[in-house]
Amino acid sequence: MSGTRRINPRRPFRITPEGIRRIVLGEEGDAGEIALSPVAMASSKPLRLVGEATANLLVVAHSDRGALDAPAREAIAAAAILADPATPVLVLVLGDLAEDLGPFGADRILAVPECGNGAFLPDLEVSVLSDVIDRFQPRHVLMPDSPTGTGDLGRRAAAALDAEIATHVVELKTDSVACNRQGGTVLARRGLPRFILLDPGAIDAALPFRGAGKRLDYAAHAVAPGLYRDLGLKPVAGAALPLEEADFIVAAGNGVRDVPTVEAVADLFGAAIGASRVAVDDGRFPKDKQVGATGKTVQASVYMAIGISGAVQHLQGIRACRHVIAINSDASAPIARRADLTIVADAQAVMQALVSETARRNWPGDAADEARADG
Amino acid sequence: MDSWQLRIAVLVSIGRNPVSGAARPDRNDLLALELARKAGGELTILHAGDPNEPALADYLAYSAAPLEILPMPGGPDIVPPLAARLQGFHLILTGSRTEGGEASGMLPYALAKRLGLPIVAQALDLAVAEGQAEITQFLPKGQRRRITVRLPAIIAVHPMAPLTPRYSHLRRVSGQSVTLPAPASTEAASTAWRTEPARKPVVLQATEKKSGHARMAAAITSESKGGTLVTEGTPTEKALAILAYLRSHRLIEF
Repeated sequence: MSGTRRINPRRPFRITPEGIRRIVLGEEGDAGEIALSPVAMASSKPLRLVGEATANLLVVAHSDRGALDAPAREAIAAAAILADPATPVLVLVLGDLAEDLGPFGADRILAVPECGNGAFLPDLEVSVLSDVIDRFQPRHVLMPDSPTGTGDLGRRAAAALDAEIATHVVELKTDSVACNRQGGTVLARRGLPRFILLDPGAIDAALPFRGAGKRLDYAAHAVAPGLYRDLGLKPVAGAALPLEEADFIVAAGNGVRDVPTVEAVADLFGAAIGASRVAVDDGRFPKDKQVGATGKTVQASVYMAIGISGAVQHLQGIRACRHVIAINSDASAPIARRADLTIVADAQAVMQALVSETARRNWPGDAADEARADG
Repeated sequence: MDSWQLRIAVLVSIGRNPVSGAARPDRNDLLALELARKAGGELTILHAGDPNEPALADYLAYSAAPLEILPMPGGPDIVPPLAARLQGFHLILTGSRTEGGEASGMLPYALAKRLGLPIVAQALDLAVAEGQAEITQFLPKGQRRRITVRLPAIIAVHPMAPLTPRYSHLRRVSGQSVTLPAPASTEAASTAWRTEPARKPVVLQATEKKSGHARMAAAITSESKGGTLVTEGTPTEKALAILAYLRSHRLIEF
């Protein structure tokens, strides 16, 4: 045996989606393929919080269907970056919460399902927020300045508590905030106020650490009915909405020839219709339906890409979409890397199956209709 | 029945043309004025600022209401004098955010606190009946919310309100503007802010101290980004996989 160090060619490896074998650096042994999922990597991030908690930073956000949107995650990340290692990030979620906020940087979580969830309860929300501020004495309160109600709540609470506030914050530093003024010709800066309302995009939500993600119990006190009365939500039909505002988009690309079926699928989900550049250039869809760099940038909760390969310019337009579902005959198309669910199949067959399955099945909501039809 | 007269105040500011920077009526405040005109009643337009600003007279062209100007030289806090003038109005309308100036959107909330009135922001439409205002409120993702609020109330109008303000030169030349007496004592505005020339804001990022090995590991996992892949099964099974995904994330109701 010579003294030369040799590298074991059969070190642990994993297979990438492209089918390429990658050696996992830092792993010893003679094993074969090992599982190294993104989840495993995320949980291997170190905990940010160490030692005894001294102060608090509070993040407040409304949830949507049990999850937080991108601006809310940015606010949590902002608090986690600002906080020193002994300051926990406390997150007050108004509405149901069904996801783990630890990976986003939250250390302690208070979910208040009595608020939010689409209801307009400003008096209750302000009372909950001031109660939480009273109890935890956070140094700063960070909120997304979003039209879902969080921006409104922040302004109400700051006015009610007579606290200093910075709204539409475009730049956050460890010691100052900056906002645009005079129509964007001037940047105004000040030290960190009590309330910080962040504009979207001011923070990079990627964190090299994770939060403890511990749920705390909280019971909201009832508040006497105030001067407001909520008469409920009135959704606008998806097809009538501009694409930028739509929550569910069914988009078709070069792999789809049958426009009426796309419309039927969109109708099924009450979705707006989008299209890729190729489909628009071919004249199958009008120009105002085009999604991507030369079309529209969309922020839907669900983006269903049917027969779209996912050119960079198209992916740029759907960056803010939360759930992307792709139906494509090519599993190696770039959209498969962006999509949360990729169906590898002929688009036409799956679309027809979607329509017929939804029509055939007895969904709970249809029972009443059927009874009426029978009677 | 008309013994009760609805009194509406519309708060206006000086906007600026985004291209030339010239002073002009604020687009958001014009929407508030148009919504107030639609609601009917006795209208008053109120501005706190420089009475010699020529762009103010343009507000006269958008309604037949008188324009009152509270002279506020320097930079004092405009909330106390405005609140004093706004006593006795049933509805106070304003835009959601000024085009020029501070543009924080805090004024309606500060006034609401000072006057003890309810405030509804993001209003798209407004109807007044029986001492109540019914408001259609803008929410993202194509949602609209209807709210009733007891008068008096403050309402901030959303920039997407479906209204078209109409300019009339006749109204502009025949309209009246009144400069109110300057408020006696004023509180100084917050001096915490310093201004600097505009530039592209710096995005706040977490600093990362990682070893070469950790960076390489992160690069490997980012390659595997991508969700579930469904390749097997009939089209029906695949369609059901989509429906199951949507249902498990509470994205569809059926």
